[in-house]
Amino acid sequence: MRNLVFILFFAATVAACPALAADHAGHGKAGAADSTAAPVDREKAWKEMLAKPSLAVSADFDEKGRLWLAAIRGKHVYVSYSDDRGITQSVPVKVNAEPEDILGDGENRAKIIVRKGVIYISYTQWLGKPMTGDIRFSRSTDGGKSFSAPVTANDNREIISHRFDSMAVNGKGHIYIAWLDKRDQSAAEKKGGKYNGSAVYSAMSDDGGTSFRRNVKIADHVCECCRTAMAVDTDDYPVVTWRNIYDSNIRDHALVKLDGKMAPVRLSHENWNVAACPHHGPSLSIASDGIYHATWFSNAPQQHGLFYAHSTNQGKTFSSPVNFGNFEAQPAHPYVLSSGSRVYLVWKEFDGESTGIFGMHSGDSGKSWSAPEKLAATSDASDWPLLVGESNRVYLSWNTKNEGYRLIEIGSENK
Amino acid sequence: MKRLGVLMALCFAILFFAPTPAVAVQQEIKPFVQGTYQQIVSARQGKPFILGFWSLSCGYCKVELAMLKKLARKYPKLDLVLVSTDTPEEEKMVSATLAKLSLNKAETWLFADGYADRLRFEIDKKWYGELPRTYFFNTNGEVKAISGKLEQGEVEQWIKEQYGLR
Repeated sequence: MRNLVFILFFAATVAACPALAADHAGHGKAGAADSTAAPVDREKAWKEMLAKPSLAVSADFDEKGRLWLAAIRGKHVYVSYSDDRGITQSVPVKVNAEPEDILGDGENRAKIIVRKGVIYISYTQWLGKPMTGDIRFSRSTDGGKSFSAPVTANDNREIISHRFDSMAVNGKGHIYIAWLDKRDQSAAEKKGGKYNGSAVYSAMSDDGGTSFRRNVKIADHVCECCRTAMAVDTDDYPVVTWRNIYDSNIRDHALVKLDGKMAPVRLSHENWNVAACPHHGPSLSIASDGIYHATWFSNAPQQHGLFYAHSTNQGKTFSSPVNFGNFEAQPAHPYVLSSGSRVYLVWKEFDGESTGIFGMHSGDSGKSWSAPEKLAATSDASDWPLLVGESNRVYLSWNTKNEGYRLIEIGSENK
Repeated sequence: MKRLGVLMALCFAILFFAPTPAVAVQQEIKPFVQGTYQQIVSARQGKPFILGFWSLSCGYCKVELAMLKKLARKYPKLDLVLVSTDTPEEEKMVSATLAKLSLNKAETWLFADGYADRLRFEIDKKWYGELPRTYFFNTNGEVKAISGKLEQGEVEQWIKEQYGLR
């Protein structure tokens, strides 16, 4: 009887002594106890994470001056319009009828382009595993009343990363989408090899987005999580820019025109050598005079902050970069838009108290620039700033947690 | 009854003096808010430590965390503070990631301010949010900031110098 008391007492003590039990469990196989001690449904946890609201709102004007907006809410992309510069908006219409997990964090956002009565939408669908996605496309041909069932633009269907899409529609109505794609890394790893970074791929649709042609690889070894940017040249070919990986880890930018002739050229030369992806991609605009305007971010020790450069020879060479933004105020996420010879830049800064959107403009195709000016501010989380043009006017398009969506006119071209 | 007393004393000794478990408990993750950075630094005046920022969406961070785990085991003196820049909604995933890597010995924090710009500004005005971002605090108060995945050799060199190890 006494022995039984000892045994019971000892058993109870050990049971009440997790430290002891844990130490035993931890011996021999490192980490083995962890999986049993804290089971977490990773897929469920990622889904919960995706459920947090996205502040990313994209905008475009149609030819009649109506503003169109694309936003992510829950498991759908929604499109609405505004006839009073964003103050009031129509009832949002679902793009994807079937619910999907849609990426709207970091550099992910739904894209919207409105041309000749057609609304084009691209976005990234999450595939249930961390850092995976498919590039999805849908359109509306009835003025935004309904949208086509989304199609997937990437023809590789592995559960890997096809993310960070950019889209452009040319004068012929051909739709181009470019994105970062890990199929080559996946292929290399299956053979036991390694592949540095992602690749950039593109797809084109010449049937209005009903289907996309075979994917074309634009470049190997590019930075993994930075947005790509695309604009259409005056000859109707799209031009794509992205953060490339030069040598083993130099994360500067590259650019190429998708005319089947041009090889990618190096746009930026800050030589930022970093074994990391800054989640901070470039922006590109091509003016009606054919001048390319590009802006980007770098944190190289010698040259850091935001940069702007232009090219007058279709991207073969670029002007000496202009370094802008207050480096002590985290200048970030620059965006460029040209309207004829006028060029506008906006970016984000944080002064310790609030976030400001700053802007500057050039009246001579990017040769000289105005002093930076604060265009808007907020005291909580916010989306990156975007620029949208309508006729000869240019607007800052910005969504903030506190103030909601704002469209602020920042300039017009005097013809 | 005497034997019972001895056994009880032994059990209490085990209960009270057993070392803190290195593994198998749910990671305690503290909310990183305004003032936390100063709190972490002030608590370690004159002592060397590594302050590492990481996120679930950063592939390079996972590789770096695995390397830090190895070093934390090899150099038990290493004072490692890890801050996830994810959001409170992502705490389960952050916790699971840390548990999987058995990084429980490190002091761990999670950004708990939806206005992350404010936290970053307080930590380092010249940090743009790129990850991993690691700060090496020396005994003499000097701080070195590095963006990107660290080289194990360099970190080991720093640990040996700062903790007087050979």
